[in-house]
Amino acid sequence: MSFVVQADRLGRKYGRRWALRDCTLAIPEGKVVGLVGPNGAGKTTLLHLAVGLLAPTSGSVTVLGASPADGAAQLGRVGFVAQDTPVYPRLSVAQHLRMGEYLNPGWDRQLARSRVEQLGLDLRQRAGTLSGGQRAQLALTLAIAKRPSCLILDEPVASLDPLARREFLRSLMEIVATDEISVVLSSHLIADLERVCDYLVVLVASRVQIAGEVSDLLSSHYRLCGPRRDARGLPASQRVIEESHTDKQSTFLVRTSDPVLDPAWAIRPVTLDDLVIAYMSREVPGERPDRPRLKVMS
Amino acid sequence: MIRFTWLQFRVQATVALAALLAFAVLLAVTGPRLASLYADAIRGCQGAGCANAANTFLSRLTITSPYPAVYEVGVALTLAAPAIIGVFWGAPLIARELDNRTLALAWTQSVTRTRWLMVKLALTGLAAMAVTEALALLRAWWSDPISNAIGRGGPYPFGSVFDQGRLGSFIFATSGITPLGYAAFGFALGTAAGVLIRRVVPAMAVTLAIFAVVQVAIPVWARPHFLPPDRTVVSGPSFFASTAMSVGTLTASIVPGQPEAWILASGPINAAGKPVGAIPNACLVPSAAQKPASPDLGACMASRGIEEAITYQPGGRYWPFQWMETGIFLAAALALACICFWRLGRRRT
Repeated sequence: MSFVVQADRLGRKYGRRWALRDCTLAIPEGKVVGLVGPNGAGKTTLLHLAVGLLAPTSGSVTVLGASPADGAAQLGRVGFVAQDTPVYPRLSVAQHLRMGEYLNPGWDRQLARSRVEQLGLDLRQRAGTLSGGQRAQLALTLAIAKRPSCLILDEPVASLDPLARREFLRSLMEIVATDEISVVLSSHLIADLERVCDYLVVLVASRVQIAGEVSDLLSSHYRLCGPRRDARGLPASQRVIEESHTDKQSTFLVRTSDPVLDPAWAIRPVTLDDLVIAYMSREVPGERPDRPRLKVMS
Repeated sequence: MIRFTWLQFRVQATVALAALLAFAVLLAVTGPRLASLYADAIRGCQGAGCANAANTFLSRLTITSPYPAVYEVGVALTLAAPAIIGVFWGAPLIARELDNRTLALAWTQSVTRTRWLMVKLALTGLAAMAVTEALALLRAWWSDPISNAIGRGGPYPFGSVFDQGRLGSFIFATSGITPLGYAAFGFALGTAAGVLIRRVVPAMAVTLAIFAVVQVAIPVWARPHFLPPDRTVVSGPSFFASTAMSVGTLTASIVPGQPEAWILASGPINAAGKPVGAIPNACLVPSAAQKPASPDLGACMASRGIEEAITYQPGGRYWPFQWMETGIFLAAALALACICFWRLGRRRT
């Protein structure tokens, strides 16, 4: 199996603070991968390391089997849309397309033009006056028209309104449907990922809490409700991810590959939302206690 | 990458070319008339008469004509160009990308970061040098009659805009090849300030401040010592009588026989070689006090064994000094460019 992103004990320090530490993960190729985690988990740092905007302080990372940003060819194989989708405010949409053409040997002019037309962007308009959604679409156009083998997007929809968010994700799905392209998409909003991703990586404090196909994850997790009991009383094959108790009742979120046979339980399937929240709220050894685990996004 | 650099740079380039063109028009309109004035002034002169004719030409020029103003504009513009370039081309070059966070966009195209920075620095830097040198060459072409007159008769009239030879602080820095060095340095300084400070406006301010300090410090502290200065002692009524002396300070304004020499220090000394602080009272007759450097005063001083000591750089050192100063600034520009490469390395951003 080949991997789009493979990290081995990857770490990056800013001054004396580790933004990412001992991160080991392997993301398979050919998938739309959601990278989800709370703010400060190291998602942006990880993605910046993957596209070569940063060099690791420790460990190593490869993208499509090669060192990130190692020469023009490798840069051409990876499309990147940075957080808040920066563009040059003074350059027009047409000039951005020219920039893409000048700087990328594999530039697909046809694709860029047709996408801009389809989006209804005015070629003469300065990028600084575009709406957030239009800007994100322009950044996405630049990233895909260079015809990369993989596309990495760092919270591209975080600052968009719901409508622009939906439009953007629809564009992304269209791209994935027509091209053989691996996509890694980070977000702290599970709802965004649910719609587009078929593979999920939950990252908390630099550690991968769980990674796998979305369908596998959903079919191997159960929510069990029943009379109060201790987690130690559950079968060894059931790994407890989350538990909560009232005086009479216990609720567990468990992961197991075996069927749950105990008739005392009311078994409910889990949603992706439940699952991600459960993994994100788990105690992580070594994590700083002062930082909120989840931040409410407006 | 070259085409993309141009895409980002063309507005600034157009502004600079427009300014250059406006300046060229001004010089083209006034230049030929100035040249013919000079040609008329020195026509048929011989020997010492040429020096006098040149001085007359310069002093006439200062009185009623617009030429001193144009001359000053040329000097000021060439002097300021590297600073302006540093502030408006250098400082925003990277700082604006940092501000807008567009480096994440620029550095994920199929162009390596090293190449990106190299092309940007080289292209914009060369444009900076070309524009500044073009200004200097235009200025030199226009003021050729004035430089010739100063070369023949020495800087004149003292205290006027024509009181600097080609080694003079302002003229030296706006002629020859030094504008190349200054332009490269100003641009690199602005760029490095932008990279280190990461904000456009503060980087502009710092660039301007540092450049101004350097522009003052170099002629005051560095240039006089590029080579050990020469020293000469002149005496006799003829020298003291010459208009080259100003009486209050008793400093020399000209080295006899070397109209283009750059005087670093001068003052009267007595027979024992000690500096003389003031004019001896005996020589200070009322007429002498009123009429500076009168023959009476000169003769009186000379009769008491007082001579004038002058420390100076000979005018013939113009080109060695030009190469040295240009070399220093180009080296500084290169060092600043290296700082940019180092600071923008992947380990540090």
